[in-house]
Amino acid sequence: MKVTLTVNGSRWSGDVPARQTLCDFLRDELELTGTHVGCEQGACGSCTILVDGEAVRSCLMLAVQADGTELTTIEGMGEPENLSTLQAAFLRHRAFQCGFCTPGFLASAAEILGSGRRYSRQELRDLLSGNVCRCTGYEPIVEAVFECQR
Amino acid sequence: MKPPPFEYHRPETLAEALTIMAAHGDQARPLAGGQSLIPLLAMRIVRPIHIVDLHRVAELQQVSVADGRVSIGAMARQRDIEHDPRMPGLVRAAVPHIGHFQIRNRGTVGGSLSHMDPAAEWPAVALALDAVMVAASVRGRREITADDFMIGPQMTSLEPDELLVEVVLPIRNDGFGFAEVTRRGLGDFALVGAACQDRAVVVFGTGLRPQRLRAVEEFLNSGGGTRAEVSAVAASEIQATDDIHTSSQYRREVAATLVGAVVEEARTRGGVA
Repeated sequence: MKVTLTVNGSRWSGDVPARQTLCDFLRDELELTGTHVGCEQGACGSCTILVDGEAVRSCLMLAVQADGTELTTIEGMGEPENLSTLQAAFLRHRAFQCGFCTPGFLASAAEILGSGRRYSRQELRDLLSGNVCRCTGYEPIVEAVFECQR
Repeated sequence: MKPPPFEYHRPETLAEALTIMAAHGDQARPLAGGQSLIPLLAMRIVRPIHIVDLHRVAELQQVSVADGRVSIGAMARQRDIEHDPRMPGLVRAAVPHIGHFQIRNRGTVGGSLSHMDPAAEWPAVALALDAVMVAASVRGRREITADDFMIGPQMTSLEPDELLVEVVLPIRNDGFGFAEVTRRGLGDFALVGAACQDRAVVVFGTGLRPQRLRAVEEFLNSGGGTRAEVSAVAASEIQATDDIHTSSQYRREVAATLVGAVVEEARTRGGVA
């Protein structure tokens, strides 16, 4: 099925199989392997990306459903030499260990910070609970996001 | 863990969607937000030949208010409902418990009701509010009471060619209560929960579908009692099942405790319970 979409500012047009999930499309077709796929059933949050600015599970969307949307993946959030404010805060707080969950956390945090609201640490813990970190590094993650609200 | 092949349909209008449903009947599954259906596809629990993606059908996304009732289009997203001041208080209390915000960004009201997970919030809310479910097919439209709509896990009284198109709820901003218990805080599936609107009391996650507690309602209608007494009546009426997550006894006892809590919450909000 023909799909046209924008990924990290670049337009892409082409055919995708109807049954291909959005995360597989990003990784296999576009070779954007920064989107990590964990559980493939919406539970772990690793594959979270921004679709039209909203954080969604890319394993719970078909690529054909992304037709006409604007996607932002981790590859569109900053460069190694030019980190985003949020990425710099993650680094400063050592908010990752193995890093598998980090792209998903950054996408969720991007929507949370984009709301412009100031959340308490407890509210942030609740909001970030849709992303799972198996290294259990939650404290520095919450701190990094909290700091970016200032 | 990849969806099997299927034929993908993306209707732009309800009429077009209903025509596809009429043609393919029980070999088709409507795709709403996909937050439950896509995992079912990936796990190959369901293998429909046709997928009918409804996300471009704008007429299913409408929310309107008339005569003290709100009509929610089946494709309205949880995200949009969550902060909508036109929603009944019970809806605004329950929706934040549906998955995490990333799930609510895609998940829909009609999808949740049609998927009919026994632990889901929407079927319980619909039952407590005596919601009217509107189904449509090429044969016409019909109204189904919430009680008649829900049969069991992933089972509703929709015919194979029918779509749930809207749910109609009375707008009430007092007299409601909502509570649930999960293993992992906000966003996790409910082990059990309870919802109350005035003297209508529902438990969910307890059995194969949400249960209206008629004995509790009768107790409240005949004068009621203390929170502990309400819970005791509930405990004698709740039909709970065992599964891998917990025992029927745990479900019955915790749900009964929640019933006492939501009835009290409804009272403090100025309800007639």
